[in-house]
Amino acid sequence: MPSPRFPIPQGTLDMLILQILSLDSAHGYGIAQRLQQISRSVVQVNEGSLYPALHRLEQKGWLRGAWKQSETGREAKFYSLTPACRRQLAVEKESWARLSGAVDLIFEEGSR
Amino acid sequence: MIRVFNWFRRRSLERGLDRELQYHFDRRVADLTGAGIGEPEARRRVAAELGLVRVREEVRDVWLTRWFRDFLYDLRFSARSFLRSPGFTAVTLLSLALGIGATTAIFSMVDQVILHALPVREPERLVLVDWNGDDLITYVTGSINLMPYPICRGLQQQTRLFDGVLCRAEIQVNFTASGDPRPVAAEIVSGSYFPVLGVGPALGRVIEPADDAATGAGPVVVLSYDFWQAQFGGAADIVGSKVLIGNHPMTVVGVAAAGFRGVDVGAVPAFWMPTSMYADANLDTGDEDLLNGHTRWLQILARLRSDVTLAQARTGLQPWFKAWLEDSTLRPGFPRISADHRREYLATTLELTSAPQGHSVLRRNLAQPLWLLFAATGVLLGLACLNVAGLFLARGSARGREIGTRLALGASRGRIGRQLLADSLLLAVAGGVLGAAVAPMAVRGLIAFLPHELAATALRDTLSLRLLAFAFVASLAAGLLSGVAPALRAGGEGLVNSLRERGGTGFGGVRLRKAIVTLQVAFSLILVIGAALFLRTLTGLLAKGPGFETAGILSFAIAPTQNGYSDANASRLVRRLDEQVRALPEARSSSAARFAFLNGGAWSNQVTMQTDHRTVTDGIINFNAVSPGFFSTLGVRLLAGRDFEKSDTLPVGEIAPRCAIVNEAFVKRYLAGRDPLGVLIARGGSSDVKPNSRIVGVVADMSYRGVRDHSEQVFFPLFEHDDTGATFYIRVRGAAEQAIPAIRSLVRQDDPRLPILWFRTIDEQVNRSLSTERLLAALSGSFGALALTLSLIGLYGVMSFVVTRRTREIGIRLALGATRASAIRLVLRDAVVMIAAGIAIAIPCVGALGKLVQSQLFGVTATDPATIAAAALVLAAGTLTAAFIPAWRASNVSPTHALRLE
Repeated sequence: MPSPRFPIPQGTLDMLILQILSLDSAHGYGIAQRLQQISRSVVQVNEGSLYPALHRLEQKGWLRGAWKQSETGREAKFYSLTPACRRQLAVEKESWARLSGAVDLIFEEGSR
Repeated sequence: MIRVFNWFRRRSLERGLDRELQYHFDRRVADLTGAGIGEPEARRRVAAELGLVRVREEVRDVWLTRWFRDFLYDLRFSARSFLRSPGFTAVTLLSLALGIGATTAIFSMVDQVILHALPVREPERLVLVDWNGDDLITYVTGSINLMPYPICRGLQQQTRLFDGVLCRAEIQVNFTASGDPRPVAAEIVSGSYFPVLGVGPALGRVIEPADDAATGAGPVVVLSYDFWQAQFGGAADIVGSKVLIGNHPMTVVGVAAAGFRGVDVGAVPAFWMPTSMYADANLDTGDEDLLNGHTRWLQILARLRSDVTLAQARTGLQPWFKAWLEDSTLRPGFPRISADHRREYLATTLELTSAPQGHSVLRRNLAQPLWLLFAATGVLLGLACLNVAGLFLARGSARGREIGTRLALGASRGRIGRQLLADSLLLAVAGGVLGAAVAPMAVRGLIAFLPHELAATALRDTLSLRLLAFAFVASLAAGLLSGVAPALRAGGEGLVNSLRERGGTGFGGVRLRKAIVTLQVAFSLILVIGAALFLRTLTGLLAKGPGFETAGILSFAIAPTQNGYSDANASRLVRRLDEQVRALPEARSSSAARFAFLNGGAWSNQVTMQTDHRTVTDGIINFNAVSPGFFSTLGVRLLAGRDFEKSDTLPVGEIAPRCAIVNEAFVKRYLAGRDPLGVLIARGGSSDVKPNSRIVGVVADMSYRGVRDHSEQVFFPLFEHDDTGATFYIRVRGAAEQAIPAIRSLVRQDDPRLPILWFRTIDEQVNRSLSTERLLAALSGSFGALALTLSLIGLYGVMSFVVTRRTREIGIRLALGATRASAIRLVLRDAVVMIAAGIAIAIPCVGALGKLVQSQLFGVTATDPATIAAAALVLAAGTLTAAFIPAWRASNVSPTHALRLE
């Protein structure tokens, strides 16, 4: 029996982070929480790997970090998408849709 | 690469990350405690979830790649450890900076004189066209790739092979814009010159084919950018202005592109003018049309078509050239020659050589000395590297325990090796920066050795990008070279051993260090022998001298035909001035000669002699024409017969049999065993030459082209019909400089527009002609001294190290009754073996290298046993002294003290 929570596939973490941030800017803890909520705790994100990913995306110029007051009143580092990233995200989503569509097709073909 | 900057703001990055993680941590703990979990438990769980240490490391890897971060930490560690031992650092930095600085400086000269391609379009496709065939019929040699103009025109038709052909000659003319005429160097060029080179104007236009279409077609000049800047301050209205070349009016039509200085490194032209105007440049000989005749007066450069190789062009040219040769034998005035001779002449071919650097006399003269010096600096740099490697090894063994501890704590051997390599690289790059900083100063020093007017115009002391790149590569190579041995050793030593050792007594690499010192001794002996050879050459030449009195003699030169004088008028002027200078109160005696001595050039040909039979000399004889009193003014002894007299001088324009004076070398070689006086001789070797000049005197030998020169010479009386200029030699009362104003006003009185080309004392002239020898002697001398110092330091270091290591052993020996002398012997034996091995390595190398330097030497062979022995002795004495100091210290060890070291 498969585990109810499985580790996130390689490379998809970046995309999930970008997707979450495309709605609104957020700090690291917020992103972690939202990841849990959205994926209904099916996907397990190691919180330790969240920060290297955020810094890598910032380094690439896709995210911009700024210190702002958070909902608790304490300063937190909020990440938001850069314009270059929004374009990139559209491309990635599109290719993901094609890939998962293709995988679905293959599964359906096999089950018929 | 932007990530490099992260290194410099790593502190603020770290702070940010800390705050960010702390926020996450606190929020998560707060959430968990809110869900009813006790705070200590919540903290423990969150810490496990997050894995703070690992997260930090991973984020740091994002900021800066791991290996690069490690490398930067290594560099920082190296820099700190260097600052802790400033003495060591200063010595190593200094030796590297000296090595790199010297190499870079010499490379700058090599690059400028030898390697640098012309700043023209695709210089790699330029070829120099040369032909030595007509030496066979005229016996005139010493021409510098000179060719007749019609060959250039013929080659221009060979469009299957060439994209274009140009010809050019260097000329000396007087240039007048406003004010006094100035003697300047210029180039006279074919109309194809600028188009073929692909050089455009900075202003106006360049010389075009139409300017060169027919004799006299283009009375125009194009100024060089440098001359325009220096002479006219870069005035934009220069185009269209009138100037005088000699006394011929010409129009300035443009300024050539900046940075273009003609095709000859070392002769920077003031301007260019078309070959169609050769008469205006006073090249007119009167009896031949230079554009159609066979006089050789130009160099030819051609641009190969991109689809043609050098070899193809060479073979492709031969049918055309054979026809040209056949044709040339039919021209009027072609000498009568034997059938054999004719066959030989017709078999000659055109030579093509790749010439991306153009054509340069300077390069021909300086190439070999410069390569020699470059090789010497290479050896010097190698020596410096060996020295640094030796010092590193010494330091490495002192650091043995530190390294052992790091290994024990789990550092990999590769990691330790990298640390040591970072040490040497950091040092080498710092040394390189220092070296590059001193290089321009060194280049200025080098240029100062060369004749002034050449160096001032042609060579630069600025650091180019190429030069910096060279210095950088040299430093990296030096760093690797000096760091590799210690780095490899760091991996090789047993861990347990190094920890068990006592501080300061590491056994590290004694054999390696001895090998290094042996090599150092060998390298420095090679350099010291080189220095000794060049010093002997210079002192030999100075002691020999030019064969005449050099003190108290002033010379000055004029070239009236460059100012538009006819040959007859020039002869009259020279005669007039000769009389007037003699009458000056400042002059003890004075005389004029047609050609200057010690200037590199000569007037030469074969000589035909009539004794009881007719003979032609097998070699080329040097000629000069002098006025009466020449030999006594210069202090050249008259060995037989008499000097010229006033009555030997013919009226201007009259050609009749003359008399001649020959030198001792001429008599020895050609008139041995007979009375030379009365023998009839004449210039030239062809069958129609009539020997009609009677030898009236014999003089001692003197130098002509240069101080090395020891040639057969014949002198004729001055004032033939074609004296084009003269150099005056004046024995001055008092200081030579005092006579200059009087002479200047004398010339000005006669013709205010005639410039004096130079004032020089003979001492100056001798120094000028020995500039290359002086350069070689001074530089190889300082390289030798440096090398010696470096190897002394190296040997001293190793011996001190050995003595420290053996202190206990020596102490025991002394305690058991050994004498102090035997202790000294014990230590010195090691040094003697190293020195002897170094000498044994060096001497065969000197034998092999000898052939390369032989042509630069004078009065000594490259393998001169006395010189080699003396150099080896100096080296052995120096190094033994360096070894003796530690040995003596060893013999003073008190046994009790040594044993207590345990």
